[in-house]
Amino acid sequence: MATENILEIKNLNKSYNDSLGTENVISDMNLTVKEGDFLSILGPSGCGKTTLIRCICGFEDYEGDIFVEGEKVTKPGIDRMMVFQSFDQLYPWKTVRGNIEFPLKKQGIKDKAELDRIVKKQLELIGLSGYEDHYPHQLSGGMKQRVAIARGLALKPKIILMDEPFAALDAMTRNKLQRELHKIAEKEHLTVIFITHNIQEAIVLGTRVMLMSNHGEVKIDIENPIPKPVTPDSPGYGELWRKFEDALEN
Amino acid sequence: MKQARTQLIFVIAVLAVWEYISRSGQVSALLFPSLEKIGESLVKGFTKDDLISYTLYSMGLIARGLGIGILLSFVFSGLSVVSKHFSYIFNFVVSVMDLIPGIALLPLAILWFGIGQTTVIVIVVHGVLWPMSRNILDGFKSIPSIYVESGKNIGLNGLELVTGIYLPASFNSVLSGLRVGWARAWRGLISIEMVFGTTGSGAGIGWYIFMKRTNLDTAGVFASLLVIIFIGLIVEYGIFHIIEIKTVRKWGIIKNGN
Ligand SMILES: Nc1ncnc2c1ncn2[C@@H]1O[C@H](COP(=O)(O)OP(=O)(O)OP(=O)(O)O)[C@@H](O)[C@H]1O
Ligand SMILES: [Mg+2]
Repeated sequence: MATENILEIKNLNKSYNDSLGTENVISDMNLTVKEGDFLSILGPSGCGKTTLIRCICGFEDYEGDIFVEGEKVTKPGIDRMMVFQSFDQLYPWKTVRGNIEFPLKKQGIKDKAELDRIVKKQLELIGLSGYEDHYPHQLSGGMKQRVAIARGLALKPKIILMDEPFAALDAMTRNKLQRELHKIAEKEHLTVIFITHNIQEAIVLGTRVMLMSNHGEVKIDIENPIPKPVTPDSPGYGELWRKFEDALEN
Repeated sequence: MKQARTQLIFVIAVLAVWEYISRSGQVSALLFPSLEKIGESLVKGFTKDDLISYTLYSMGLIARGLGIGILLSFVFSGLSVVSKHFSYIFNFVVSVMDLIPGIALLPLAILWFGIGQTTVIVIVVHGVLWPMSRNILDGFKSIPSIYVESGKNIGLNGLELVTGIYLPASFNSVLSGLRVGWARAWRGLISIEMVFGTTGSGAGIGWYIFMKRTNLDTAGVFASLLVIIFIGLIVEYGIFHIIEIKTVRKWGIIKNGN
């Protein structure tokens, strides 16, 4: 398996012009992500997790270097697809099919049969076959997040960036979506950076789990030793959970 | 349905009060012509006075003026998304121009464009362009940033971002811009026609009203007001309402209400 670095971040510094303090939100951060990594990022509120992936996504100016497959990130692009936390990220004026097809058409895929095939495959993948012609407002929050994931995956990005996509879901739906996402990530061999506040979620999904603290300081960054599928009964789960819980506490 | 019924009852009540006042003999028939008179005048307008061609003439002018005005507001508002500097200037121009009544521009327009259809169309465009652009610009400003970012994420830029994201995402504002623009243009047109008279190539419904007034034919004035109202209702329910149902309502952007 290729294990080259798909993402390299070197001496990343980020401050917002309009923020109150003069301190950087992220200072001198370094991070590499390998192809096929599922990197879960935990961290206290306000430590800069969203800021970090917004920089990777190309939504923010930054100092330092962010390379994706050796190319410096200067603007947003389909090689880095973002899935947001908000349920409102789908285009309400397009159906589920339209939401998935629109970015593909913009990439020059015009062939109707090809588009159909991709939509069908994506909806099967996320378990929403038959919902092609629904508008977003006719879907539940969990369904919307699944479509958002499908829309991102359809573009075959190099990295998928997810900012607490399941945070607003009820516990049951959340567990279900975690399992589905895990399956998809393995099957499609995805490279994912997944932000969450939930330690369980981070351990269940991540092949690698990271804890960030203020100013982008990386406190813990480990390969996840627990074999998949992870359940609370998996050996080592409790220990790992406590390790992150303790680190988050202080 | 409930809504339509309430509205219908209201209209009938107004007509009844009208008829009562008219028949009571307290008020001169010149001020309050009976419904029957107005109806007669309406029929006569279409059968004898050629009201239809006055109406069509006005509609022709408004269609051209609206078309140009709408097109320009889309183009300018779109350019405001693409260029910051253009946006600063355009916002300023809209604020200034929106204050000037079309009728106040008429003397200038006549000097520049002469007495003809061009002048009328220019005034109609003036009536549509600024309020409609104001609505579109405000709509653009209040688009949730997540749509714009998601649009950039999938590689949209410039014009594609305007047509692919900004316009549909702010379609509710675009639609109210269309409504305001149409109403302003329609009112503007009729006032100009009353002042302007015939342009040689024809005369509009405003001129028709003016002639009726000159002849002290109050029923005829009311009859032509009815025509104006009918056209307004047809445009609202035949065009805007349908667009609304097929867009923002279908998309769940607005849910209930009228
Ligand atoms: N657009 C902005 N302008 C100014 N300051 C900002 C902006 N966005 C974030 N910040 C600041 O940057 C810091 C990090 O914010 P960020 O959203 O990255 O945190 P986070 O780790 O994602 O937090 P949470 O877990 O609550 O989502 C915060 O102090 C925040 O106030
Ligand atoms: Mg965040």
